[in-house]
Amino acid sequence: MSWNRVAVVGAGLIHMGELFDQSYEQMARGAFDAAVDSVDHGFDPTAIDAVFVATQRGTLWGQEGIGGNTIPSAIGLAGVACTRVENACPTGSDAFRVGCMAVASGVHDVVLVIGVEKMRDKSSDEGLLARAAAGHPVYTRGESAPVLFAPFATRHMHEFGTTREMLASVAVKNHHNGVLDPYAHFRNEVTIEQVLAAPPVCSPLHLLDCCPQTDGAAAIIITAPERAADFTDRPVFVAGFGVATDHPYLHEKSTYVGLPATVEASRRAYEMAGISPADVDVAEVHDCFTITEILDIEDLGFVEKGRGGVASLEGETVLDGRIPVNPSGGLLAKGHPIGATGIAQLTECWWQLRGQADERQVAIRNGFALQHNVGGRGSGVSVVNILTTNAS
Amino acid sequence: MSIAAVGVAAPEWRVPVASIDAAWGRSPGRGTLAVCRSDEDPLTLAWAAADRAVAAAGVAPSGIDGMWWGCTRPPFAEGPSWSTLAATLHLAPEADGALLSGSTHAGLDALLAAADAVAAGRVDTALVVTSDALLPATGTGHETSAGAGAAALLLRRDGGPARLVHTAHRWEPRLDRYRGDREPETRETYDGRLFREQAYLPMLGAVGDALLVDATDAGRWSLPDPDGRLARALAKRLRAGTTSAQDVAAADRTRLGDLGSAATLVGAAAALGSPGPLHLLGVGGGRATGCTVIVDAPVPGAERVTADLSGGEEVAYTRVLRSRGVLRPTGESVEMAVPPGSAMFGRGAGEMLGLLAARCVDCGTMNTPPDVHPTCISCGSTKFDVVPLGRTGTVQTFVVNRTMPSPFEAPLPLVVVDLDDGGRIQLQGGDDGAELSIGAPVDLVLRRYAVERGVPVYGWKVLTRRPVAGTDEEVTS
Ligand SMILES: [Zn+2]
Repeated sequence: MSWNRVAVVGAGLIHMGELFDQSYEQMARGAFDAAVDSVDHGFDPTAIDAVFVATQRGTLWGQEGIGGNTIPSAIGLAGVACTRVENACPTGSDAFRVGCMAVASGVHDVVLVIGVEKMRDKSSDEGLLARAAAGHPVYTRGESAPVLFAPFATRHMHEFGTTREMLASVAVKNHHNGVLDPYAHFRNEVTIEQVLAAPPVCSPLHLLDCCPQTDGAAAIIITAPERAADFTDRPVFVAGFGVATDHPYLHEKSTYVGLPATVEASRRAYEMAGISPADVDVAEVHDCFTITEILDIEDLGFVEKGRGGVASLEGETVLDGRIPVNPSGGLLAKGHPIGATGIAQLTECWWQLRGQADERQVAIRNGFALQHNVGGRGSGVSVVNILTTNAS
Repeated sequence: MSIAAVGVAAPEWRVPVASIDAAWGRSPGRGTLAVCRSDEDPLTLAWAAADRAVAAAGVAPSGIDGMWWGCTRPPFAEGPSWSTLAATLHLAPEADGALLSGSTHAGLDALLAAADAVAAGRVDTALVVTSDALLPATGTGHETSAGAGAAALLLRRDGGPARLVHTAHRWEPRLDRYRGDREPETRETYDGRLFREQAYLPMLGAVGDALLVDATDAGRWSLPDPDGRLARALAKRLRAGTTSAQDVAAADRTRLGDLGSAATLVGAAAALGSPGPLHLLGVGGGRATGCTVIVDAPVPGAERVTADLSGGEEVAYTRVLRSRGVLRPTGESVEMAVPPGSAMFGRGAGEMLGLLAARCVDCGTMNTPPDVHPTCISCGSTKFDVVPLGRTGTVQTFVVNRTMPSPFEAPLPLVVVDLDDGGRIQLQGGDDGAELSIGAPVDLVLRRYAVERGVPVYGWKVLTRRPVAGTDEEVTS
C-alpha cells in the first residue's frame, strides 16, 4: 500500500545548458510557465498558496544571501508563502519532499516546488571548482566534487574488477538518452573509445565520466489527491520518499564501494511505498559521475553489489533494458543545475509514468518510477522519491 | 653535555645547476641543488630531521623539554614558527628553547644555546634543529648555490656517545648575504672571492686555530661553503698551522647546494658515526663560531644519514620557479573558506599540527579531527582521550585530482589511509601520486598545505613507502 497522500498535477522544465542570456529569475519564470502549461485542465497560478524554492549554492552567481524570496515576485506571485530548501545535491528532491509534507499535513493546499540554479555565471575556477578550497583547511583541502566519488571508483575497480569501459558504458548510454531529450544540455552520442580517451579530471575519472556545469530550472505542482481531479484526470501520486544521512568526512565511510545514505534513503522510500526494487519500472538516479550511477543501481537494489559495472556494460539499464536508468540523459547529458536537478528528474518520472516521454518512453509495467540524489560533504545525504500512477 | 642522536633531511627534488645557468645564458655549472616542493619549507624540513633524531634516540617527545632552532628564514618572519614546529613534534607543553635567526650563523647559535641550557641544568633533553631553504633572487648567481636541508641533534646532560668539549668565536661587522625587512629574496651583496678572502677565511681560520690549540689530532671539520671553494681554501689555511692530516668537508655541497645555517650539522651528521674529534664551524652575519665534538662511539641516527640524503628526483628549473611562487598563473587564486587568523584556526591549529584524534573511551574509535566530533561516529559516546594518530598505514583508496583552480597544483593525490593504530584519515599525497595503490604501505609527513593570505598553513601528507636501493630498509619517497 503506497503512501499516496500527495498528487503531482503539473511539471516542467527549461532547456538545460549554459544559459548566459538568462538570469536566475528568468530561468525560474520559464520553468514555472512550463509547469503551469502542463496542467491538463488548465491552471490558475493564484491557486498556489506556498512555494518551496530549491537553490543549492547562491555563491555560484554571487548571491549567497538569497533566501528564495526573489522567486514569488519573478513568477507574479509576490505575497505567497515561500521558503528556500537547501540540502546539497539532493536540494531539489528534498524541497519536493518538504513540499509534499506541507500538502499532506493539510497546512497548504496547492504547492509549487521550483528548483533554480545558476552554475555558469562565474568562470569554472570561481564556480564549483572553488569548492576545493572550502571546508576543512587540511582534511578536505583539494576536495573538488569528483573527489567525493572517484575514491569509490578506485575501490570498486579494485574489489569487483570494474573497468573504465564499464564506467564509460554509463556515459555512452546517458548521452544516447540525452540525444532523445529535447531539454538536455548535451545532445550528442559518445563512444566508449571517446570516454576512455578523454583527458583525466580526477583519476580514475576522465572528462566524459563527469557531468557538466549547467544552468537550469524545473518546477512541479502538487496538491492533495482529492483536489487533483480539479487539474487532471491522470494524476501521479507520491508513493513514498526517504532521506538519510551519513558521516561527512571521506575517512569516516563504512564502505568505499557504496553509499550508505542511498541504501537507507531508498529502504525508507520502498517501505513507505510498500514496494521492492523489482517493482520499479524506471529510475532517474544521481549520475554526477559514471561511477555514481554504478553505485546507485547497486545501493538502490536494482543489481547485486559489485555487479553495477557489468550490468551497465551489458545493457541492463538502457531504455528497453531490465531496469531503464536515466532515460532523460541523467546528470551526465541533461546536466546538473543542482537545485533544479531533482525536480527535473521528477518531471521525467512524471512524463514516463504518463507515457509522455516520446522517443525515450520506457515500458511501464507496475506503475512506479524512482528518483534519487546523493551528495554533500562525503556524499553524506541522499533523498529518494517514488512516484506512482496506481491510485492505491 | 652529550649528543645522544642525530637526524637529517633534504627535499627529494634536485635541480641541475646547469639547467639554471642554461636559462640565463651562462656557461653550465656543476652539481645539483636540493630544492623544496611548494609544500616544503624550513619548517617541514626541520620537522623531518627532528623526527628522525627523536626516533633514533628512542625518547618520548614529551620528555624533550627544550628546543633550539636555528634557521635563516623561518616561515613566519614574525610569528609562531617555533611553537608550530613544537606542536608538530609534540614537545612537552612547558618546553624551553628559542628560535635563532638573522643569518646563516643561526645553526651554531642554536647548538651552543641548547648545549648551555643542558649544561646549566635548565633542561634535561634538548633538541637542536637547524634548517634552511634559502630563497635566492631569481637570475642571480646565488640561485646556483642555494640548497635546502636540515639536521637535528638530541642533547643530554651526560652519558652519550659524543660530547662537546670546546668552543671559539670571532666577529667582524661584515655585510655578506642580506635581506631587508620587506624583501622576500636574499641578496648576495658580496663578491664571492672578496668575502671568502677577507671575511670568512680570516674569521674561520682564527676560530679553527683556537679549536686546535689543545688538540692532538686535527680531526674532521664541517662548515658551510657558500661559494663551493671555502672548504678547500680553509683546509689550505689550517694545514699551515698543523702537522696532522685534516678532512675538511662541507655538507654534500655538490648534490645539495649550500644549506645555510643547516650546512654545518648536515655535513657533520654522517661523521658522528665514527669515533674521533669533529670540529663544527659556522659563519654568517659577521660572525664565526666553532666547537669541537669528541665522538666516543657511533651516535644513533648517523648510520642512516647517507640514505636519508641520497634521494633525488631531478626536476626542471621551471618547476622550481613555480614551487617558489616566482612563476604564477595570471588571475585570482581561490581563497580558503576560513582565514588563518580566524577563531576556527585557534581551535583547530593544535589538532591539525599534532595530527590529533579523539579516541573514544568506550569503543576505541579514532574520531578525526576532534573539534568537529563531539560524538563518537561508531558508538555515540561523548568521552574521549585526545591522542596523536600514528603516522604509518596502508592505502584504503585514493584519487589523483587534476582539475583545480589556483593555488592548487595538479596532480594532487588525495588518499584515504588505514593507519596501523586503527585510525583512518583522508589527507593529500605529498608527491604526484604515481606510486599509489590500494594496500600500499605509506607514511605521513608534515607539509605546508597552503600559504593562505600570506600565512603558512601546515598539515600532514601521505607518501608511499619504498625500499632503499641496496638495503633492507625502506624510506618514504
Ligand atoms: Zn565510540
